[in-house]
Amino acid sequence: MKIKIAKKIFSENDKIADINRENFKRHKIFTINLMGSPGAGKTSFLEKSISLLKDKVQVGVIVGDITGIDDAMRINKLQVPVVQLNTGGACHLDANMINNSLQDLPLEEIKLLFIENVGNLVCPADFDLGENIKVTILSLTEGDDKPLKYPLIFKKSSALIINKIDLIPFLEVSIDKIKKDCLLINPTIKIFKVSCKNNEGIENWVKWIMTMIL
Amino acid sequence: MHELSIAYSLLNLAIEECIKRGFSKIQKIKITISSASNIMPEALLFSFNALKQETIAQESILYIEKIPLSGICQSCNTKITTFKPFIIECPVCHDNSLNLQIPDDLKIDEIEVT
Repeated sequence: MKIKIAKKIFSENDKIADINRENFKRHKIFTINLMGSPGAGKTSFLEKSISLLKDKVQVGVIVGDITGIDDAMRINKLQVPVVQLNTGGACHLDANMINNSLQDLPLEEIKLLFIENVGNLVCPADFDLGENIKVTILSLTEGDDKPLKYPLIFKKSSALIINKIDLIPFLEVSIDKIKKDCLLINPTIKIFKVSCKNNEGIENWVKWIMTMIL
Repeated sequence: MHELSIAYSLLNLAIEECIKRGFSKIQKIKITISSASNIMPEALLFSFNALKQETIAQESILYIEKIPLSGICQSCNTKITTFKPFIIECPVCHDNSLNLQIPDDLKIDEIEVT
């Protein structure tokens, strides 16, 4: 006998993502899911952003990695609440992992929460964590062909951060191509060019974030 | 590579629906996947076949149907559907003003039970 089901296989994850979303809303927290390849500069970008943001807004961070506490130690130096989440092998964060780690954060003291996803341009795009926006960071050393090769993550992101622009004299990559391809995939994506080395562009991004949360 | 956890979720969902309706064996599970999804059907099938052992779905077959992406070219008005993960250019007029819609991916469509 045939039975029509028509149920989302991600429904378990989505249910918990909705619980997270409610929780964020109740605490008036704006949440950003930051995604990008290993080495794109996610943690450096967070360090630079937080340095500028922490006098303006109360920031909290969840950092996801397969193993290790290196990222949390770096963020901890900035004296903002941080939780290190170890997936033990999983290539992405899911809503349940976030739900569990929220217990370790002082939510009433946070207005802006960054979730640094596991370094990966593929799997994190599929999982709703309950965030307000997804942001993808792509560094110039990864090459300018990445948006067309991994379209889904760019399609689902509200902003693209192009990092390591200080390296442009040494590389054969085109920032224009990255921008053009990304806008073809997602015409409404907001694009920021930054260097975590010399701080170029970080202020622009921080200004934009402030407009999102106010 | 999150096919294993997806296979686990879909197997659990199918078993739950089967038992809830008073049946004891699953013969077929049909799922739909968006073409834009990052899921590999082969890896999903492999994971599913490993996980179904010693469950009421152990003799079941998993059917995976890919759902195409669709959009209308803003330049020549042609309605486009594609099974590729993404396309930028309109295949008719070669303009880049296709804004493809990504279908709601990954659903259990139906199960066959006894």
